[in-house]
Amino acid sequence: MNKMTIGIPKALLYYKYKDLWISFFEYLGCDVVMSPDTSKEILEMGTKKSLDESCLAMKIYMGHVEYLMGKCDYVLVPRIKCLRKKEQVCTNFQALYDLTRNVFNKKILHYNIDMEKGRTEEKGFIKMGKELGFTKVQSLNAYNLAKMTEEKKNKERRETQQKRLETSDKIKILMAGHPYNLYDHFIGNQIATVLKNNSVEIVYSDTYEPLDMDEEIKPITKSNYWTYNKEMIASIAYYESRVDGIILVTSFPCGPDSLSNEMIMRNVHIPITNLIVDESDSDTGLITRIESFIDIIEERKKNG
Amino acid sequence: MNAYLGVDIGSISTKGVVIDEDNNILASDYIWTKGNPIDAVKRLIDNLKVQVDKDRVKIVGIGTTGSARKLIGTMLDATVIKNEITAHAIGTLSLYPDVRTIFEIGGQDSKIILIEDGIVTDYAMNTLCAAGTGAFLSSQAERLGVAVEDFGKIALSSKKPTKIAARCTVFAESDLVHKAQMGYKKEDIIAGLCNSVVSNYLNNVGKGKKIHTPIIFQGGVSKNVGVKKAFEDEVKSEVIVDENGHLMGALGVAILSKNATRRTNFDFSITDDNFETKGVECNGCSNHCEIICVSKNHQMIDSWGNRCSKGDLIDKQNKSHL
Repeated sequence: MNKMTIGIPKALLYYKYKDLWISFFEYLGCDVVMSPDTSKEILEMGTKKSLDESCLAMKIYMGHVEYLMGKCDYVLVPRIKCLRKKEQVCTNFQALYDLTRNVFNKKILHYNIDMEKGRTEEKGFIKMGKELGFTKVQSLNAYNLAKMTEEKKNKERRETQQKRLETSDKIKILMAGHPYNLYDHFIGNQIATVLKNNSVEIVYSDTYEPLDMDEEIKPITKSNYWTYNKEMIASIAYYESRVDGIILVTSFPCGPDSLSNEMIMRNVHIPITNLIVDESDSDTGLITRIESFIDIIEERKKNG
Repeated sequence: MNAYLGVDIGSISTKGVVIDEDNNILASDYIWTKGNPIDAVKRLIDNLKVQVDKDRVKIVGIGTTGSARKLIGTMLDATVIKNEITAHAIGTLSLYPDVRTIFEIGGQDSKIILIEDGIVTDYAMNTLCAAGTGAFLSSQAERLGVAVEDFGKIALSSKKPTKIAARCTVFAESDLVHKAQMGYKKEDIIAGLCNSVVSNYLNNVGKGKKIHTPIIFQGGVSKNVGVKKAFEDEVKSEVIVDENGHLMGALGVAILSKNATRRTNFDFSITDDNFETKGVECNGCSNHCEIICVSKNHQMIDSWGNRCSKGDLIDKQNKSHL
């Protein structure tokens, strides 16, 4: 059998599940090919394949899928609906598989997660392995090993972040947002570059893993049914006393964020600002906002 | 006597001040940018030059702010380049030490700055659209055949301001056309526009912010008495407009240059030099960044706009992909 190549778009949930995905396919003996960092070209390709009302992150995603077309046997696009009972993830993730399948009219590799219906990640991965021609045992083994790799890498990232938080004497700013916004070359990276140029220590919100999420979000909001936003809120509640300021990174026009940002802005008591990134190319506006935000933090520090 | 130059280059207007050690304004000027910041600054410097006694006044610090702060900072070899929020706050605080809230509506953007005990504690700027800024008002003035300078006066003469949809500039514009066709009086429409600028501002930029007095209103739109009155009606307290309100950014950045350590020696001779900017597309990767190069007398002195080091033009001669 020829070695299969799985294409993984470097966008959206890639930034959350990359270690799980990559190691799962590698343990199965598949090759993995990834799209490059988001560039203007990828964004342009994605914009042409998207509705104009899609959020920026979705447009970018479509560009990445397009890039991978013809470069692999399958592109992986999961369909995730519900990760915790009585909660949801953004409807975009529920629609993502069907959307890409229809836009590109190609066979796409996927798995489903819907905890309301007992569709767990494990079951999804076994089914996905079967689709690729592997047995249940092979897939389960690969999944378990991949889970361990994922946990190990996440732990390393959390520890590195913790260490930098404790040892750095620079101004510390929490970049809070969905990982696909925080780490995307076009979205979060622009902001991170300006912060670094102003010698700020950046803390990323996805480096915190809540133990009891329902309890930990309470200082900010009583409840929230968007799981990914809930994780972000728990992280903000944890880091609030440990950083000097918070930048909420949002891609335009995000539905769930518009709701939770409002709650966060009202209930956080350190300097906080919201940066909404859209397709426009110029970073002048971003720089002005970030620099004034840093000025505010510095002034506050100086005056105790 | 040591003096300090502050230049604020906005999208619509360019402002400049020269101050002494005690922040007294020795010279000031306010001109249109006309889409050409380099030329505007040359004219500005020319105008400032004639206002000061060059034998007595020595410029030792230069600060730039506003959306073209970097370009002009390079051109003038500024000692301080600062964002407009901080510059405005510093400038305003030097005249009104107890100010708590600054409303600022400029040509392309609008902002709110909140101050507590002389320190900026929070700010907000308009997000994606430029609804309700000066550029919108002047295009509507033209549509109605009124000079934008007379806008405020006409608004005050209205007894029954027309309601104009304020959520979005595009809607506001079509609503305005509609109301004009329906036969509403011009002064009522103009007063309605002023009200819509204010409600737009308070609902977008000022959303969720606690507004304390004293309130200072500045930026080009603050010269519009109609908008000032609409603000006062809405927040139910006095809104102060300083006669030098338009100079606050320039004043602030001049003060910042005074407090900075770096010193320069500027003799107003800039206007004889030839400055040019050129946009170059970098082909180092698929981002195709548009890099702005600034040259002085045909010698490149600075560049920016690149997202990665591939586009660094500091030694551009070695970059074959440009």
